[in-house]
Amino acid sequence: MTVLSGGVFGSTADDLTDLRALVDDIGARSFESRIGHRGLPDPFDRIAWGHLEEAGLTRLDSVADSGGGPAEVAVVLRALARHAVSVPAAETDVLACWVARRAGLEVPETGPLTIATTFDAVPYACDAAAVVLALTDGDGLRVAICDPAELSITKGHNGGGEPRDGVIATSGAFVTIEDAAAELTRRGAWARCMQVIGALDAAVEFSVAHTREREQFGRPLSAFQVVQHSLAAMAGDVERARAAANLAVVAAADHGFDSPQADYAVTVAKVTLGRVVPAVVTSAHQLHAAIGVTIEHRLWLVTQRARSWIGEFGDTAHYALRLGRLALAADDPWDLITGNASGSGS
Amino acid sequence: MADDFAALCANEPELATLRGALREFLAADRAEFGWQQSVDAWLSKWDEPFSARLGDAGFLGLTIPIEYGGRGLGHLHRYVVTEELLACGAPVAAHWIADRQVGPGLLSYGTEEQRERILPKIAAGRYFSAIGMSEPQAGSDLAAAAMKAVRTDGGWILSGKKVWTSGAHLAHQVVVLARTSPMDSAHRHTGFSQFIVPTDSPGLEISPIVLLTGEHHFNEIAFDEVFIDDTNLLGKEGDGWRQVTSELSFERSGPERILSTAPMITALVRVLAGQSEVDDHTAAAVGDLLAQLISLRQLSVSVARALADGRPQVNEAALVKDLGTRFEQESVQLAADLLSYVDTDAPGRAAVADLVEVAGLHAPMFTLRGGTNEVLRGMVAKGMGVR
Repeated sequence: MTVLSGGVFGSTADDLTDLRALVDDIGARSFESRIGHRGLPDPFDRIAWGHLEEAGLTRLDSVADSGGGPAEVAVVLRALARHAVSVPAAETDVLACWVARRAGLEVPETGPLTIATTFDAVPYACDAAAVVLALTDGDGLRVAICDPAELSITKGHNGGGEPRDGVIATSGAFVTIEDAAAELTRRGAWARCMQVIGALDAAVEFSVAHTREREQFGRPLSAFQVVQHSLAAMAGDVERARAAANLAVVAAADHGFDSPQADYAVTVAKVTLGRVVPAVVTSAHQLHAAIGVTIEHRLWLVTQRARSWIGEFGDTAHYALRLGRLALAADDPWDLITGNASGSGS
Repeated sequence: MADDFAALCANEPELATLRGALREFLAADRAEFGWQQSVDAWLSKWDEPFSARLGDAGFLGLTIPIEYGGRGLGHLHRYVVTEELLACGAPVAAHWIADRQVGPGLLSYGTEEQRERILPKIAAGRYFSAIGMSEPQAGSDLAAAAMKAVRTDGGWILSGKKVWTSGAHLAHQVVVLARTSPMDSAHRHTGFSQFIVPTDSPGLEISPIVLLTGEHHFNEIAFDEVFIDDTNLLGKEGDGWRQVTSELSFERSGPERILSTAPMITALVRVLAGQSEVDDHTAAAVGDLLAQLISLRQLSVSVARALADGRPQVNEAALVKDLGTRFEQESVQLAADLLSYVDTDAPGRAAVADLVEVAGLHAPMFTLRGGTNEVLRGMVAKGMGVR
């Protein structure tokens, strides 16, 4: 129940503690190795991916006997994002493998995969062992597996430097799967929420470290009460976001991604994180002042990835509208607030 | 498999059953006795017969052991009951402090005699208490409290003044924090003790401090050499500060820090839902408002669960109070804005407008009672290692 635990107040010891430490170690090594080498784009980290594969962490949700599920995936995604590791872990495990399995199509058993729901801004398309095309067709998806070598790819990146490529497919054998579009979007939104928590945790950690180190007016910035209160407000926002994201983890773990519980919890998490991201990003940059807006500083890697991620798989306004409509349609809005409306309770 | 989703929503079967039973009780009780659903009812709606009925129905003293007349249940049971009462806007002020603070305080620090004397009456909803902490010169800086308790034959003599003492004019007793040894400026938190002071004690004078709404909830209490016998020392002499602060996490992270305006919010959503058409912009604003409330409740429940498991949550609890009470404040204007989209003659609109008005008048109190948010943020900053 404390899957996403971590951040400035430390983490709770539970049965995911070892996994947290393992991914943290892989992430920290990746981060170290890239100091001084970050840019736009920030390319795929093949070495980190290798470490993740060796540890068996790249297909936790998608391989039946991996011993993992949504909770383990959430731990991995959060920790990798916290260290700004440039790998398509979410795309491979939560999205591409799932779509391929639903469609009855084969994808490579190792190597990074990616998903293309449109032809723009496809994550890590150049680096993937396969690109899973999943084009919305009503409530269903038209799915094809492509070898990147057969695609025409234009390199690009998101605000946080992560590869987001344009692809052009000239041919493909499509399989249609019914009623999968909503779950694919929900899985994507879910995964991005887990990554956002990691990025926000890092943003707060960086802000604490910077304000303790940086001296102005003869004392550390952190000695100023106004700075302390700004840090406390950031921490509050992040803890609230963590609580919402945590509900989304257990909803998927207990009831599956296609459940009303997951629908409810992901909707709430997307709106919550969607409002928290701009607030925390703004504060983190304000506290870092000019140094934080440079490409040589580490801050942008987490703030701008958080901003990019939260806009993917449906923007905040879209989910706010969805939650509002759920509330207006509920027999009792209080039931919705307590997670007990429209079949989403126990 | 354990259903963690239900657990995080405080909806496990046992809690869901309790929730359902309380909802039925409240609907029937309101139908019979006609009380108004209100915002900020835990401060302002003092209804002694309601408290007694609630006690008779078994919804008070949930964490008090059965041998003292309680239910012997856990903190999460109490959490569920508390949030259902607040969401419903039930008149809970009379028993609030006794049930929330005095019961747990007696269980932790009280003597056997005190427990037997007081706990059954609290669980029955027939014994009401106030808490005397702040003083004219000691608000956010509670350690500046100067109320004196001097040892005398068979007890103590209390002299000084307490302010902002909610409900003291109606309560049976006040739990008072006083100095039993003089202030030591190097160790300001030492030398405090807690006393149980019956409100009919000779030398005690209670006078109203009237709110800007014209309501009388707060009081000033003057202690003119009030004698308190030894049986009414609560806990250990000199241990008052620790006793007062050690269980604050429950109070700070409780549902009353996020749900003071919940009856306004749910009533508003119901009225909006009754409109023939709600445009997307309005519906999205409702979604934004509810996402804040739901995420805060998730945080609050997670803190309650951690506390029930014995994990300290000092920072998280302070955050719930800071975030929750600011949300309560902001919710008033958000609700007022949304109300302007409702047809002027829509059924229920006037009632929501009244709730918005009362919530707006009470809103300044949300972020200061029980310790100002600035103090809380200072505590959080300390927890983050920057203070």
